[in-house]
Amino acid sequence: MAATTKTNSELFFNGLLNENPIFRLALSMCPAVGLTTTMMNGLLLGTAVTFVQVFSSCTIALIKDYIHPRIRIPTYTFTIATWVTVIDMILAAYVPAAYKEMGIFVKLIVAFAIITMRLETFACKNNVVKSFWDGLGMGLGFMFGMMSIGFVRELLGMGTLFGYKILDFRPLLFFVLPAAGFFCIGLMMAIFNYVEFKMKSKGGKR
Amino acid sequence: MKNIIRIIIGLIITCVLAGLVMGGVFTLTHEKKQENEHLRFQETMLGLLGFGKGNPAPQDLRFVSIYRYTLEDPKDPERKDLGYIVPVFKDEKEVFKLLIMSQEGEFKKALDLNLAMDKAMEEQERQKALEQTLGKGVKLSFGDAIILAKKGNERIAFLLPGRFPGFKTVIKVMLALSPEYTIKGLEIMEHEEDPGLGGEITQDYFRNQFVGKPFSKLVELKVVKEPLPDEYRKVLEATRGHVSSEQEKALSQYKDREIYALTGATISSRAVTEGVKNIVRNFAYRFQNLEKVLASQGLSPAF
Repeated sequence: MAATTKTNSELFFNGLLNENPIFRLALSMCPAVGLTTTMMNGLLLGTAVTFVQVFSSCTIALIKDYIHPRIRIPTYTFTIATWVTVIDMILAAYVPAAYKEMGIFVKLIVAFAIITMRLETFACKNNVVKSFWDGLGMGLGFMFGMMSIGFVRELLGMGTLFGYKILDFRPLLFFVLPAAGFFCIGLMMAIFNYVEFKMKSKGGKR
Repeated sequence: MKNIIRIIIGLIITCVLAGLVMGGVFTLTHEKKQENEHLRFQETMLGLLGFGKGNPAPQDLRFVSIYRYTLEDPKDPERKDLGYIVPVFKDEKEVFKLLIMSQEGEFKKALDLNLAMDKAMEEQERQKALEQTLGKGVKLSFGDAIILAKKGNERIAFLLPGRFPGFKTVIKVMLALSPEYTIKGLEIMEHEEDPGLGGEITQDYFRNQFVGKPFSKLVELKVVKEPLPDEYRKVLEATRGHVSSEQEKALSQYKDREIYALTGATISSRAVTEGVKNIVRNFAYRFQNLEKVLASQGLSPAF
């Protein structure tokens, strides 16, 4: 694949909607199932992933010409691990309040499939500016996905949003349990596909 | 061959660069991070005593710490002794001493320890001082700390950091006990219970159920699976984080109640109750032994 011909804004919205990491690419499903019990978790993890994705994409786009093709993947892993550690340390030092909530999630990001995948399919073939927009779009798309699942699960499971009481009762306790994550993601993916299908058939093209 | 060498060199350079970046950030942020951790610890301690924003701690409040270690002699691995790092008065000055005693509370040795007063909070510094005194052969493992809060010369509370297994992983807590071993407060420092279920252990209406329970009630405390009465819940939730002395009085009316289990999280509720019971029981036993030994040795403890 050669360098992309898309404009920066197209790249940005591509990650957010057309190629949303969770609903369309179905990558990084572990955090999407395990950690989306509240909207806050989604927001915090999404922020951290966005940072790591943007920094890693830019780094790889910068050094792509010097990487031996045989050791691509180890280099990506190194890059991601380095940025995750750096962000972990910076958060712990300067934003202790957020780190208290987020600390355990940040270290998990090293293993997220979405970041490695973006480096492999995009950053190593494009320049820094394009990689930046792609990383930002993917990161925010991930955050959007996590937060929308969190929205459903928190509201139905606990009757709260961002920890504030919305409903006076807890409709379905089942939704905070890990198994409900599968149901939730499956249903939301179906809704996503349905909406897209409707939109396409309305347009009458393809 | 040439390829392999290029790959090896590439990997080495990547590793070195990554190491440099991480090392650089570490040196920049390390001190600040530790400072934050100490600050948080301090805040929790003050919060448990009822001090915080709007109710600043008095000037003459101070904390004295005792650290407990388990010592294992390599020649006789069956025998494990307790080593306490205790601050004592010597020539009107506070210094640390290492008291070694058996598990049953028999006195063995008292040794001088080369540890500055303000460095004792760092685990590495304590380790270094202990190794210097005991020699390298003895196996050391840190047990826990007992922190005494003092106002002037009067003891106002014991603060006990502790850990015990929860439903999923270890739960870290800090307990505040009055000098008569009545619970003054419980703070959950770290846990990974299910949010919405076991995670509710951090809520006021669960934590505060422990407040006001005297030692005699605590040793036989049970968890009951009954709905929490509304009027009790109101009293429990009135505290909003800090328990004031009036609220402590209101809560002590309920001191004969058992702990009401959280809905859908009986295991977490039981784990916390048992954990708290064990921490207090172990503390009471060990602290009595320690005080006996100190008195019999004629040492004047700085607590």
